[in-house]
Amino acid sequence: MALAIEKKAVSGWLERLLKLGEVIAPTRTPTGDVLFSNIRSGSDVAWNLPNPLHPPKEFVLPQTDPLVQIKRNGQHHEVEAIHDGRRRFLVNARSCDVKGIAFLTRMHEMEPADASYLRRSNNLTIISLACATPCPSGFCICTDSGPFLSDSYDVQLTDLDKSYLIEVGSAKGEAAVAEAQGLFRKASEDEVSQRKRLEETAKHHFGNETCHFASAMRRISTGRVPDILWEKMSDWCLECGGCNVICPTCYCFSVKDLGRDGVWVRCRLRDSCQYAAFTLEASGHNPRPEKKDRMKRRFFHKVSAQYYTRDGAVGCVGCGRCVQVCLGATHMPAVVAAIRKGSWHE
Amino acid sequence: MNDVFLPDLACLTGLCDETPDTRTFRLRFRDSSKVKDFRFLPGQFIELSVFGYGEAPFCIASSPTRPEALETTVRRTGQLTDALHQLGEGNEVGVRGPFGNGFDVAAAEGKDLLFVAGGIGLPPLRSLIWNVLDERSRFGKVTILYGARTPADLVYKRELDEWGKRSDVEFRVTADSAQPGWSGAVGVVPTLFRKVDLRPKTSLAYVCGPPIMIKIVVQDLVALGFKEEAIISTLERMMQCGIGKCNHCAIGHRYVCRDGPVFSYGQIKELVD
Repeated sequence: MALAIEKKAVSGWLERLLKLGEVIAPTRTPTGDVLFSNIRSGSDVAWNLPNPLHPPKEFVLPQTDPLVQIKRNGQHHEVEAIHDGRRRFLVNARSCDVKGIAFLTRMHEMEPADASYLRRSNNLTIISLACATPCPSGFCICTDSGPFLSDSYDVQLTDLDKSYLIEVGSAKGEAAVAEAQGLFRKASEDEVSQRKRLEETAKHHFGNETCHFASAMRRISTGRVPDILWEKMSDWCLECGGCNVICPTCYCFSVKDLGRDGVWVRCRLRDSCQYAAFTLEASGHNPRPEKKDRMKRRFFHKVSAQYYTRDGAVGCVGCGRCVQVCLGATHMPAVVAAIRKGSWHE
Repeated sequence: MNDVFLPDLACLTGLCDETPDTRTFRLRFRDSSKVKDFRFLPGQFIELSVFGYGEAPFCIASSPTRPEALETTVRRTGQLTDALHQLGEGNEVGVRGPFGNGFDVAAAEGKDLLFVAGGIGLPPLRSLIWNVLDERSRFGKVTILYGARTPADLVYKRELDEWGKRSDVEFRVTADSAQPGWSGAVGVVPTLFRKVDLRPKTSLAYVCGPPIMIKIVVQDLVALGFKEEAIISTLERMMQCGIGKCNHCAIGHRYVCRDGPVFSYGQIKELVD
C-alpha cells in the first residue's frame, strides 16, 4: 500500500530518525560543493540539490576503513576486529546510488561474506528520492537503475509538489516509517497515478547521453576489442583514478597498517585498478604494465558478460559521475560507444 | 559471521637460511586449538602479517602430513619481507588462511609424478613432494628436477641430498652456471629432461618457477607428449585479501587467490585478461 506524507511534515519525521541514529543527506558546503554529510536538524535537508559528486558508498565502504586494532605488548600482540555498529539513515539519495549500494552489498555478501561491510549496510536505511527529471550526464535508464526504482530501495519518495508519495521496499524501510506513523496517510488514487505519469515522463527525458551496453558487452566478453583501440583510448586517460573514486560500484582495495610505535590500525584503503602499482609485485613483475591493459581491465570488470553473470548487473549505475570527472573523456558512455563503433575520435 | 580480516597470532619457532636472501620460517599458532584446527592442502597459501607493515601472501612450504611444522619460505625482496627477515625466534606474526584451491592430491593417486622447479619455485612443490613421499605407496614413479641460477641459489639443500639418496625418487639438480666446488649438472632445467625416464602418458607434471622458466618447460613438456591438462602450475599475483574481493589478483573474472593459485596449463590458456 502506497503512503503519502505532506512536505511540511517531513522534517518532523527526520527529527524522529535523528533520535535513532545519524541522518545523512546532500548538503552544500560553504565553498559551494555538494556532499553527503550528517545533518543536525530535520529541516536541514535541501531536497533540490544536485546529486553529490562523491557517491554515498563512503557510508558502507569508507575510503579508509579500519578493520583490525593491533597493539604490541612486549613480545606479544593483541588483535581485535573493529566494529562500526552505527545506525544511519541516508536521506535524499538518488536511484542510481541506491542501486550502487545494492551492487556493493551483493558483492560483499558473496562467500566468504565480509562482516565489516555488512555490519554497516545492515545498519543503513536509505530514503531515496525518485528522479522526475534526469540529471544532465546521467544514463541510469540504460543500466536499470533509475530514474524510478522498482526494487532495491528501503523507502522511495516521489515528489508530488505538495506531498511525497512513499513506497516501502524493505523491513528496514518499514521500521523507518513506523517511527512516525501519525505523519503518514494512505496515498490517494490520484497521487498513485501521478507517480506513474511522472515515471513515464522522466523516461522520455533522456537525451543523447545514453549507453548501449549490449554490443560492447559481446565484444569485451569475447576479447574482440582490438588492442589498438584500447591503446588509442588509454592515450587519453590521465591515470588519475578519479573514475574509481567517484564510481558507486567501484570497491577495489588494498590492506595497510596505519599507525606507529606498536599501535596500528589495519585498514582497507580503496584503491584504483588504473594505477600502475595496483598489480605490481615485489619482484618488479607487473602483469598489467601498460595503461591499455589497465583500462581493458576496468571495462572488463564493469561490462563483461562473465561479471554480468556473477553480479546480475553491469558494474555501472548510469549516474554519469565519470562523465563529470574524467579529464580525458574516457568515461563509460564514451568507451562503450567507441567499442560499439570500433573507433575512437575518428 | 567471521571477521575475515582478523589474523590469528603465531610465533616464529624456527628459522633456516636457505640462500643469502631466502629464509624458511617455522610458525606455531599461539592459540593451541588453532594448531589442531589449521588444515590445509599443498599449494594453498597464507596471508602473513608483519605488524606495522601489513600482510602479504606466501605459499605454505610444509606438508599437511606434518602438521606440527607449518613453514613458509620467503625471499627478501621488499618492505614487508625485509621486515620479516628482521624478526627472530619468538617474535610474533599474524596468519590468515589457508587460501586458494591447492593441489588435488587425490587426483594424483596412482599416477607417475614429475616435479619441475626453478629457484624459489620449489617451496610450493615441496609441500606436495613431502605429502607424496610421506604416503609414497599411493603414487607411481616420482621424478624431481630442480635448477637454480647458481648452486648458492638452491633452497632446501639438506632435503635435496636426502631426495638424491632415496631409491624411490629419481632426483636431478642443475645450476644455470657453475661455481667452484659444484660437481653437479650445469644448464637450465629443461636440459634434465633428456637424462630421465619421462612418462608423458601416465604422468602429471607440476611446474613452478620464474615465468620464463615455466614458459620453456611447458613448451617442452607439450612437445614431449604431455597433455595440457596434465601440466599443473601455480600462478602468482599480488593477492591482498585472499578471498576474491580486493581484485588485485583478478585475471578476467577468475581470481588467483580463490580459483587458483593452482591451474592446469589448459586452464591458464583459457584465462582471458
